[in-house]
Amino acid sequence: MNEGLLIRPSEVAEVQEAVRAHPKSLPRGGGTKAALSTPREGQAVLDMTGLSGVLEYDPAEYVLVALAGTPLAEVEALLARHGQYLPFDPPLAELGATLGGTVAAGLSGPMRQRYGGVRDFILGVRFVDGEGEVVRGGGKVVKNAAGFDLPKLMVGSLGRLGVLVELAFKVFPFPKATATLKVTFDRLEEALEAMYKLASSPLEFYALDLETNPATLTLRLGGQPEALPSRLERLRAFLGHPPDTHTLLLEGEKERDYWRFVGRLEWGHGYLVKVPIQPSRIAGLERELPAGMRRYISAGNLLYLNWPDSIEKLDNLLKSQGLRGLVLRGDAEPAVSETLKSPLIGVDWEHSFARRVTAALDPHNRFSPNP
Amino acid sequence: MNPALSELGRIYPPERLLVQPGQLVPYESDALTAFRARPLAVVLPETTDEVVQTIGWCARHKVPYVARGSGTSLSGGSLPVEGGLVIGLNRMNKLLRLDPAERVAVVQPGFINLEVSNAAAPYGLYYAPDPSSQPVSTIGGNLAFNSGGAHCLKYGMTSNHVLGAKVVLPTGEIVELGSQSLEGVGPDWLGLFVGSEGLMGIAVEVTLRLLPKPEKYHTVLAAYDSLEKAGNAVAAVVASGLLPGAMEIMDHLAIEAAEAAVKAGYPMDARALLIVELEGEAPEVEAEARHLGDVIAASGAYEVRVARDADERAKIWKGRKAAFSAVGRLSPDYLVQDGVVPRSKLGQALLEIERLSQQYGLRVANVFHAGDGNLHPLILYDGKVKGQLEQAEALAGEILKLCVSLGGSITGEHGVGMEKKAYMPAMFSQADLALMRRIRRAVDPDELANRGKMFPHSEAPALTPHGPHPLEKAGVIWRE
Amino acid sequence: MQHKIDTQSIGPQGEVMAHAVEACVHCGFCLPACPTYAVLGEEMDSPRGRIFLMKEVLEGNLQLEEAAPYIDKCLGCLGCVTACPSGVPYGELISTFRGWAEPRRHRSPFARAFRLGIMELLPYPKRFRAGAQLGRIGKVFKPLLPQALQAPLELLPERLEPAPPLPEFFPAKGPRRARVALLAGCAQQVLKPNFNWATLRVLAENGVEVVIPSGQACCGAAAMHTGERGRALALARQNLKAFPNDVDAILSNAAGCGSGLREYGLLFVGEPEHEAAEAFSKRVQDVSAFLVNLGLVEPPALKQPLKVAYHDACHLAHAQGVRSEPRKLLRSIGGLELVEIPEGELCCGSAGTYNLEQPAIAATLGERKARNILATGAQAIATGNIGCFTQIQSHLRKLRREVPMYHTLEILDLAYQGKL
Ligand SMILES: Cc1cc2nc3c(=O)[nH]c(=O)nc-3n(C[C@H](O)[C@H](O)[C@H](O)COP(=O)(O)OP(=O)(O)OC[C@H]3O[C@@H](n4cnc5c(N)ncnc54)[C@H](O)[C@@H]3O)c2cc1C
Ligand code: SF4
Ligand code: SF4
Repeated sequence: MNEGLLIRPSEVAEVQEAVRAHPKSLPRGGGTKAALSTPREGQAVLDMTGLSGVLEYDPAEYVLVALAGTPLAEVEALLARHGQYLPFDPPLAELGATLGGTVAAGLSGPMRQRYGGVRDFILGVRFVDGEGEVVRGGGKVVKNAAGFDLPKLMVGSLGRLGVLVELAFKVFPFPKATATLKVTFDRLEEALEAMYKLASSPLEFYALDLETNPATLTLRLGGQPEALPSRLERLRAFLGHPPDTHTLLLEGEKERDYWRFVGRLEWGHGYLVKVPIQPSRIAGLERELPAGMRRYISAGNLLYLNWPDSIEKLDNLLKSQGLRGLVLRGDAEPAVSETLKSPLIGVDWEHSFARRVTAALDPHNRFSPNP
Repeated sequence: MNPALSELGRIYPPERLLVQPGQLVPYESDALTAFRARPLAVVLPETTDEVVQTIGWCARHKVPYVARGSGTSLSGGSLPVEGGLVIGLNRMNKLLRLDPAERVAVVQPGFINLEVSNAAAPYGLYYAPDPSSQPVSTIGGNLAFNSGGAHCLKYGMTSNHVLGAKVVLPTGEIVELGSQSLEGVGPDWLGLFVGSEGLMGIAVEVTLRLLPKPEKYHTVLAAYDSLEKAGNAVAAVVASGLLPGAMEIMDHLAIEAAEAAVKAGYPMDARALLIVELEGEAPEVEAEARHLGDVIAASGAYEVRVARDADERAKIWKGRKAAFSAVGRLSPDYLVQDGVVPRSKLGQALLEIERLSQQYGLRVANVFHAGDGNLHPLILYDGKVKGQLEQAEALAGEILKLCVSLGGSITGEHGVGMEKKAYMPAMFSQADLALMRRIRRAVDPDELANRGKMFPHSEAPALTPHGPHPLEKAGVIWRE
Repeated sequence: MQHKIDTQSIGPQGEVMAHAVEACVHCGFCLPACPTYAVLGEEMDSPRGRIFLMKEVLEGNLQLEEAAPYIDKCLGCLGCVTACPSGVPYGELISTFRGWAEPRRHRSPFARAFRLGIMELLPYPKRFRAGAQLGRIGKVFKPLLPQALQAPLELLPERLEPAPPLPEFFPAKGPRRARVALLAGCAQQVLKPNFNWATLRVLAENGVEVVIPSGQACCGAAAMHTGERGRALALARQNLKAFPNDVDAILSNAAGCGSGLREYGLLFVGEPEHEAAEAFSKRVQDVSAFLVNLGLVEPPALKQPLKVAYHDACHLAHAQGVRSEPRKLLRSIGGLELVEIPEGELCCGSAGTYNLEQPAIAATLGERKARNILATGAQAIATGNIGCFTQIQSHLRKLRREVPMYHTLEILDLAYQGKL
């Protein structure tokens, strides 16, 4: 166990100071993704929760600007009061995740299906780079093409390119009414086929998730309340009116509770791993995976996987499937990250572009866990 | 032919290595004709390998280069570097793969935007980003400029629809950025590359995401007797919680031009036209249309039309999309700006632009993406009148500063290029710019790719310490 | 676009050209509409590039000979005019520029002789007929001839149809609804005499009486578009005299000739007859547009359904804006299914004398057009121009996939006669 230093800056200048003062540092938000926020030997932890609060929010602009340590829950509550939401639907909000941690980990939830993921909604960033300079990229308007797109670069950057201090997002109105239909199939192939068909159809879903045990599609509709019943009817017709025993309709409070539960990604023992995927690779992967909790979201583009076995095994499995993964947390915290060489597992996509850009942002290697 | 050029001649047959004045002159400008520069040569590669060899040649001889798609950049993005190489990618225009089940298309960079949707149409799919230049502009150019269109607010820009790209870096290395999935892990390298204005290398293969075609469109055209009322209508639509696919405004000058160009049947007496489009599932759109109808009815429009079929919808959009070029009918020359302001400041910005227009004595036509606060003031001038170009540029500069001071951006989609680089410091601090430049140099140490663009004071920096360039000594290139 | 063209020294034609250059905003919207850009993929072979080149030459920054190869490759199809939102009168620019440039060109003796040959042959049906007969003999020796002379031979039919002389007057059937004058066209009189006969019969069927003035000459379009302004003026003057005033319209059934007549206003810029020429141009109509305006007498329905692809001749669609009228005529025939040709707006490569002067590009475009037509699965092809007709027919033949081809009016004619 690492007895590293813990710093809790409450101003941007303190972040700069801390970065400059330590050869190695690791920013941490809510600590909900322990595999990403547990320090290695020699890393000072920058607890970012002291940099918290919404700075600008005018519902008419669809733009929200907040400090990186702001809890997602706080942001979502504020937005909800104005009938709006973060369309990329970040998970782990209830467990205390922050905006900064969500961006750095690059996490989106089921509702990314409708309008896109966190990369599609981040508008601006302010961060402290490896020289200890505060720099800004992007802007605070819904559209901006000036300069390099640093906001997108920071999505998934895992604290390796800089310490995020301020973020701007595009937000949208939340649908006036929602309903969720769960449809269970006898076989995975049937569910996959239905998923393909639905995703290519003009039917619009806020969520289009696949679970495998049993093979189930969870479909969330949203929009004008008066149109919802007929849309549900059309959806059932599209699916060929599966017998009632196979479908379950969730509405109202029950529906909201269901999605809140999904957003916790709490599936008991084992590692929680994010695996970007494509629908065509699901069947192949499923043949290799043991029974367990997992969820393919956004029409088979993203897998949240509970892995009960050793990470080495998963690493090999993903490699054999040509996939890559990000370990978010494990049950034996925090020792997990010490046994992990890197939270990034599976196929190695390291390339010269990555090395070059990383060197520009972090010339002194302050944010790399490796010497 | 000098030795360096004859070396290039080993990569290209003569018909794809252009060096004669008659061949070079047409490449001197993009859609911003206020700038022009004579390249050393133009090459027209047809394969990735030729691109790699060309970049290698440029790196060896330290010759700057510019990639060019269709040359429709409005900010001088594809303006040649004086004495540099133009790499024309319009012949790399194949559709490499279309996978309707996975809803992706893989194209070469010279593939035309609209052709993607045309190819996807038989499968009920389309490619969402729709810059007005979509019948002409290439995916490579769209990628470099992160081009947007009328439907950005809801579905985003090019960057939100590019899944992957194969890129030849300025060092000659080939890298694959992104993947075929909508998601990724690790930093979003592709996100950084898209919109980098050709400063980080050349995309030779691009993977695009396709969307199912909306089942129904509901396109409303509302005429107002003032720009302000149209602007307020936009605010009212937003406040109602509706999220239209597009909200566009045109003022009377733009209406006049568009009408003359394509006879869209716009009400000619309007001071401002608002186009609002809803799209999606039929029952949902029908429900939203009722709400929208109420909002528009209360907004003071004196005439409201709803497109009854696909033809009427196409006509409404044709006028809007032709508006830029059509302004050429009103004036021999114009400059287009595309600053962004917070939506709530639209009215203020328009008033101020009107005032500036009067102050400078130059007409300004406005067509803009009202939904995103993305203005497109077209500053009309006559280049034959001495000093008018300078006046127009000064006016353009004031508009940019205005956008920044209202909390917006100097460009929403046309990019910085040559034209707006001097205004970057209005938006970014020294430290911001220094970092961006550091990234640029890390990727392109000699700053060969599209040298002189995006960054203020960025002319030939790497050259200075190296003394005169070999080609310069040979009298092939020169600096002024 | 800004320019420094010295209109003073060039004269009224300089104004015409400067105006076109000024209207171009260099937006590139015309690129996808340009057949040479589609084939060659180079900026200098695009409308935008050519405008820039002409501007540079007119400004004196570029040698004419540097620009000439690219100007020469322009088909004059005016696809770019349809596509241009800025309203650049490209047709006026290129015709005027060619006229201005021709006397300044350095052409090889062979090229001069070749052009002269075309100009001495095409406009005169009798000479053309004789030439065509000779050409058929020439086909035997084709492999021995230079490249430039091979292409025109390929377009010649195996056998010339007999061409009974046209009457000077053709009466209407039933009550007279209108009286018109018809331009007979040069090449089509030799290659497809039935075009005119079918036109006369259809007009008669619709109560239109027709005069075919005997003093008429070639419209002069070929000369005008290749820069032979003097020759074009001489022919046009003859027509101004030959056509009567007591008719409701002057009709053409060949797209190229019709648009040639409609350009007289431009041709006579700076000439004493300018006004008369403008007035003349305004009276010219394509026969299809005239019939639609008049109101077509409905033909009987076909005995069997027929799928017809209509090919837009550039000089109808782009030069005269006549697109819907021929389609309307065809659709009015019961049982006829009209299909659209992919890339329909792209030129077939015929364009007047183009396939004589730029055979390689013309052939590429011809084949592309033929393949696009075949893709529609049409059983017959209709078009309103003799040039397109021969070009497409010869390329279908090369692909060994012949599809019956007709002039639009021939299809109507057959429908009236109940022969389809
Ligand atoms: C009338 C008109 C309307 C327009 N409307 C819009 C609009 O609505 N929205 C909008 O966003 N833009 C618009 N534009 C601007 C322009 O069309 C876009 O910027 C477009 O993306 C440029 O595409 P292009 O193929 O012409 O690229 P070019 O102009 O040829 O090049 C643009 C830039 O991309 C770089 N580049 C080209 N290919 C590659 C490649 N393969 N790899 C790396 N870099 C490359 C070039 O170096 C250059 O910097 C409009 C332009 C015009 C003239
Ligand atoms: S479309 Fe018209 S204005 Fe645009 S480049 Fe072509 S000719 Fe010029
Ligand atoms: S007339 Fe035809 S060939 Fe000539 S530039 Fe225009 S589109 Fe191209």
